[in-house]
Amino acid sequence: MTLMESEAIVLRTYPLREADLLVTLFTRAEGKVRGVARSAKKSKRRFGGALEPMTYVRAFYDVRERQELARLDACEVLESPLANEVSYARAVALAHLAELLDELLPDHEANDAIFRLTLSVLHALTGSDVWMPVTYFDLWLTRLVGFLPELTGCIVCGRSLNDSRAYFHALADGLMCPEDKRLASSEISSESRALAALMFRAPVDSFAGEPWPKAQGADLRKFVIQALQRNIEKKLVTAGMLEKGGF
Amino acid sequence: MSKFAEPMSRLIDELKKLPGVGSKSAQRLAFYILRASDEDAEALAAAVRDVKASLRLCSVCNNITDVDPCVYCTSATRNQRLVCVVEEPTNIAAIDKTKHFNGVYHVLHGSISPLHGVGPEQLRIANLITRVDAGNVDEVIIATNPTVEGEATATYLSQQLKRVGVKVTRIAMGIPVGSDIEYTDEITMLKAMEGRREL
Ligand SMILES: [Zn+2]
Ligand SMILES: [Zn+2]
Repeated sequence: MTLMESEAIVLRTYPLREADLLVTLFTRAEGKVRGVARSAKKSKRRFGGALEPMTYVRAFYDVRERQELARLDACEVLESPLANEVSYARAVALAHLAELLDELLPDHEANDAIFRLTLSVLHALTGSDVWMPVTYFDLWLTRLVGFLPELTGCIVCGRSLNDSRAYFHALADGLMCPEDKRLASSEISSESRALAALMFRAPVDSFAGEPWPKAQGADLRKFVIQALQRNIEKKLVTAGMLEKGGF
Repeated sequence: MSKFAEPMSRLIDELKKLPGVGSKSAQRLAFYILRASDEDAEALAAAVRDVKASLRLCSVCNNITDVDPCVYCTSATRNQRLVCVVEEPTNIAAIDKTKHFNGVYHVLHGSISPLHGVGPEQLRIANLITRVDAGNVDEVIIATNPTVEGEATATYLSQQLKRVGVKVTRIAMGIPVGSDIEYTDEITMLKAMEGRREL
């Protein structure tokens, strides 16, 4: 039995038996870890608000050999999403981060770049303006897990898309030129492609403060969500919630 | 091939679907029912049938009831202009046992839960707006859980209700009575500070 201590972000909890919770953590030390928080459902005293999704905590847990589930001993809150007002938009955006991390991170594999990305996006996600942080997170996470297709050339003929219109399709693993686009493709604007290039060069807080309507980068978000869903072969619940949220 | 006769394994399978009942408990319950008197077994079966046949949701507040409107919504001694909003019907008992709340209720049957695909449109909000819109309510107290989902629900509701023009309040969050400030986590303490009152 090894006692572990690590910074972590709580991704999800599920009720387990009468009184326990099954908790999925994204730990800084060893990536995604699943553990049992004993009595967490009945008695809130030990964990308080620490197990709310997207809470940044210091987690103390035991890992036992040949056992899939760790035992979560304690969680100290470092930063809680409840410290700021939780609007509907913000709740969906927070859940979106949690769902993406839960679906995309492998078990027991540390990833400091994704951990730092998540913390910085959480800091940008304290109000109800969700579209900038969500766009930034979707784009970067897709790249960091290796599912982001090339954005500069046509995947069919290989020619540069720099001065050309570009199209994407749920079943195509990249962008296409006007000649090679499939039936029922969507267009991604050159502004959105430039935006992606800009986001890869600058930290999330450099985009803060500017007004960011839902329409800005909507094609880019749709493109990366399609890339993610194609790779994990399932629909992301919160992607649909974001689109029809009306905020 | 099952080790029990078909009716017995069918009963065990049905009992296993109940929350908190595993295979062993289901077998124990099934054998208890088998050994019970005919009257007891019949009373259990009838109770299960009746609960489904006679219970429905109150058309005013969505509480589970056998008469519509429910006993709260027709009570002459309760303040019908003070409405407490809760997530689940079971929350009503927790508030009512204080005996200090004399208003009525509104049950949402859930909270905004994006990870489960539950948005405001899946909650029973419409008849609350109707109640308030009709001018029948002075104050709405939002008593959803102090979680991210409960807070999102409260924020959404308060925006919708303030548009209609009614006083909206949120129950206080903070340190449990009888506990020690030293062992309070930072987020609970923050909420307790936010919800402080003048003495
Ligand atoms: Zn081409
Ligand atoms: Zn009622």
